[in-house]
Amino acid sequence: MSKNFLEIDNVTFTASAKNKVNNVSLQIERKGDIICLLGPSGIGKTTILRTIAGLEKITSGKIVLNNKVVSSKDFHLEPEKRNISLAFQDNALFPHYNVIQNIEFGAERNISKKNNLNINEIIKFLHLEHVKDKFPHQISSGEAQRASLARSLLSNPDLLLLDEPLSNVDQNFKEEIQVKLKQVLTEHKITTIIVTHDSYEAFYLGNKCGIILDGQLKQYDDPYNVYHFPNSIEVVNFLNRGTLIPAKVTGENSLESEDLGTIKGKFIKHYPKGSDVKLLIQPEDLEHDDNSNLKLEVVDRQFRGTNFIYTLKTQNNLTIPVFVHSHHIHQHQVEEKFGIKRPIIIDHIVCF
Amino acid sequence: MFLKKFNIWYLSSFLISIIVATPIITVFTSFFDPTSNYSTILKNTFLFDYVLNSIVLLLGVLILTFVIGVASAYLVSFYVFPCVNFFKWALILSFAVPAYIYAYSLTAFFENYGTAFTILKNLFGNINYNPYIPKFDGMIGAILSISFSLFGYVYVLTRASFYYQSQNLIELGKNLGFSKKRSFFKIILPSARPAIVAGLSLVAMETLSDFGSVSFFGISTLTTGIYNAWITFDDLTLANRLSFYLLIFIFGLFILENFSRKKAQYHSPTKSGIKKNTATKLTGKRSVLAFLFCGIVFFISFLFPVLQMLYWTVSFPKHLADLDLLKLFSNTILLVFLSSIILIFLSFVSNYGNRVSRSRLLDWLTIFSVSGYAIPGIILAIAFITFISWFDNNIISFFGIKTIKSIFIGSILGLVLVYFIRFYSLASNGIKSGYLKINYSIDESAYLLGYSKFKTFTNIHIPYLKNSILLISVLISIEIIKELPITLIMRPFNFETFATTAYIFASQDLLEAAAAPSLFLIIIASFFILITSRYILKD
Repeated sequence: MSKNFLEIDNVTFTASAKNKVNNVSLQIERKGDIICLLGPSGIGKTTILRTIAGLEKITSGKIVLNNKVVSSKDFHLEPEKRNISLAFQDNALFPHYNVIQNIEFGAERNISKKNNLNINEIIKFLHLEHVKDKFPHQISSGEAQRASLARSLLSNPDLLLLDEPLSNVDQNFKEEIQVKLKQVLTEHKITTIIVTHDSYEAFYLGNKCGIILDGQLKQYDDPYNVYHFPNSIEVVNFLNRGTLIPAKVTGENSLESEDLGTIKGKFIKHYPKGSDVKLLIQPEDLEHDDNSNLKLEVVDRQFRGTNFIYTLKTQNNLTIPVFVHSHHIHQHQVEEKFGIKRPIIIDHIVCF
Repeated sequence: MFLKKFNIWYLSSFLISIIVATPIITVFTSFFDPTSNYSTILKNTFLFDYVLNSIVLLLGVLILTFVIGVASAYLVSFYVFPCVNFFKWALILSFAVPAYIYAYSLTAFFENYGTAFTILKNLFGNINYNPYIPKFDGMIGAILSISFSLFGYVYVLTRASFYYQSQNLIELGKNLGFSKKRSFFKIILPSARPAIVAGLSLVAMETLSDFGSVSFFGISTLTTGIYNAWITFDDLTLANRLSFYLLIFIFGLFILENFSRKKAQYHSPTKSGIKKNTATKLTGKRSVLAFLFCGIVFFISFLFPVLQMLYWTVSFPKHLADLDLLKLFSNTILLVFLSSIILIFLSFVSNYGNRVSRSRLLDWLTIFSVSGYAIPGIILAIAFITFISWFDNNIISFFGIKTIKSIFIGSILGLVLVYFIRFYSLASNGIKSGYLKINYSIDESAYLLGYSKFKTFTNIHIPYLKNSILLISVLISIEIIKELPITLIMRPFNFETFATTAYIFASQDLLEAAAAPSLFLIIIASFFILITSRYILKD
């Protein structure tokens, strides 16, 4: 008997002959956990959700939900018997019913009447009051997406699957809905798998994140670890939040880089002295100091509201991102020199 | 796992497609059976005439329906002129007039001492006008009758295409400095090409399968040849062989069109990216010309035959009094009712079976079976009789049962079955086009909300497609009310409809007597067209 709420054991998810996610093993330990799957478009994330929902069959491994095998090579529980709800990316609202009727289909599904979510509350938090009497073709794609989410939430499933649930939602609602969605899911202990391409959304909503690349589940860990301790160069490149620069290990806690000089910190993995490595520099690893003698040229500056991200060029033409609070009085222009505080101390050193 | 695929939906769909495909298979398999001596005689004498006449008739009708259909669709779609909103739906009333009734009207009006003569006599006095009145008989009469009866197909489909055509395209033309004429020939017409071709294909199939008007005008085409081979020379195999040639001819047309189109992309009626076209208001001479064109087309295609039939019905009240109207009406409606129910129900089951099974075999089989629409009614009736005879002689007699022929031949059941085969593609394609608007994820959502396949069918699909069902039922009804050769061949003894009664009188040269049943037929068909005109014009 499995102690995990959901267990995916060595399953190959097949979207087409060429498009597969191979040998995935993944667990959701507790009821009410939220996990997010991240990966580039067309990699097979949606296929994973469809397979868990029972809309696709598997040819190897098994999927166990709540100690019950729902899919294996020889067994397939029909989707209508799984009590798994999937909110499709294209909404899939019934076109001949209005929004409120569509949402009520979800409430009807909640046969046990346990864990009753209030339909009006859900409609309110998803900002659907003004469209509830309209038909799907009369509302925007963002509204349709929220209606689909409401329908899925109200069905009180054992497992909720959300496929890019907020991809069409306006930015001004998005963060508010993310916050309330997390509250509802956590409060009602609705175990959820969310597929998204937005890493910020995944890091915020997920207790764990899975990164799917090159037909494999590359990393499955909590969001902090995925961001700070990526386990492969592919994950670093996919998250696109840092630069790898060449360096040589000079001691237990130090490296030497031709571009940045001495760097100190704690290695997360042991490397023998003298090893040549690629060091991951993330925007928050370096500090700005106007008085420093380590000056790099600014090649780009992105204003992000609360901060700037400067892109700097080293003597070997490598580009390095540096995070600076937006209240910093000097706003350096492109081609100006930008000082980096020395000695460089990085809390955790990630090398490959 | 393999066997699980063959669920009840799969099997139902498979069985329905096989039933519909049976006559086509029968035609193909009978090709090598021995024929009578008439085959050799025909080859040496009339076969060339049959083929030549069929080609001339087809080309004449295609040219005329193209000109009338496209021009009227263009005018009502892109311009505002007096009565334009009336013409938009009034032009489809021509569907209510079958080609054979049009042929009766044409002859009645222009024949020696006919209606035209009477009008001239009443207006200008009693002299011999006959030499000055043109005679529209023979090939010309057949081309005119069939064209004015069928141009509606081209009009409706082209208008729908213009309706969905994006204003962006037309504005792009203006931006590139195109004149109105150049925009029409370079942008509007080419982008409506699939619709025009679809309309012309329907016209081509109906023309090649026309029996009523060509036999009335005494034109020998492949279709009348098939009828003669069977009825006059009692050579069922030769009838099937001629049918085979006709089928090849029809399939050839489809292939030719497909090749010529290559991979060109045309507009699609989607919601996004489409800016509805805005009509230009015509003034002065242009406005009058547009009004006259549409008015004349409406008059010739609908008012003319209706008035002619009305005139005769009123002039010869005895023929009307002799008709058992209630019986004819109840017979016609019985056929309409039974056939519509069977067609809608089985087409629904088959479409849903295809949808949930997602089987390539079923898809191919469906495509093959819906091509039954291209087969003339006469061929279907003959193929059905051939099959039942074969089945009776080889299978039924094997079990020691005497015969089942009387159950299927000359019975309501047999008649409705052949209607089913003939109009299956109309019902099936109609439901299919409704289904195309329902994304698969809708079904999947229903499953995930705990609905079984059956409950998804009854609670999601049927309510959603109820408008399509209504529309298809009415279209089937119109076709069945007008249908002649199948009804003529397959009907039980002494069982008459408005169509068969009109034909029987006309074939005995009693056109005055044919007027009343023809008029009632047109009235009933017009009623059905009017209640669905909104949907017909949109889709």
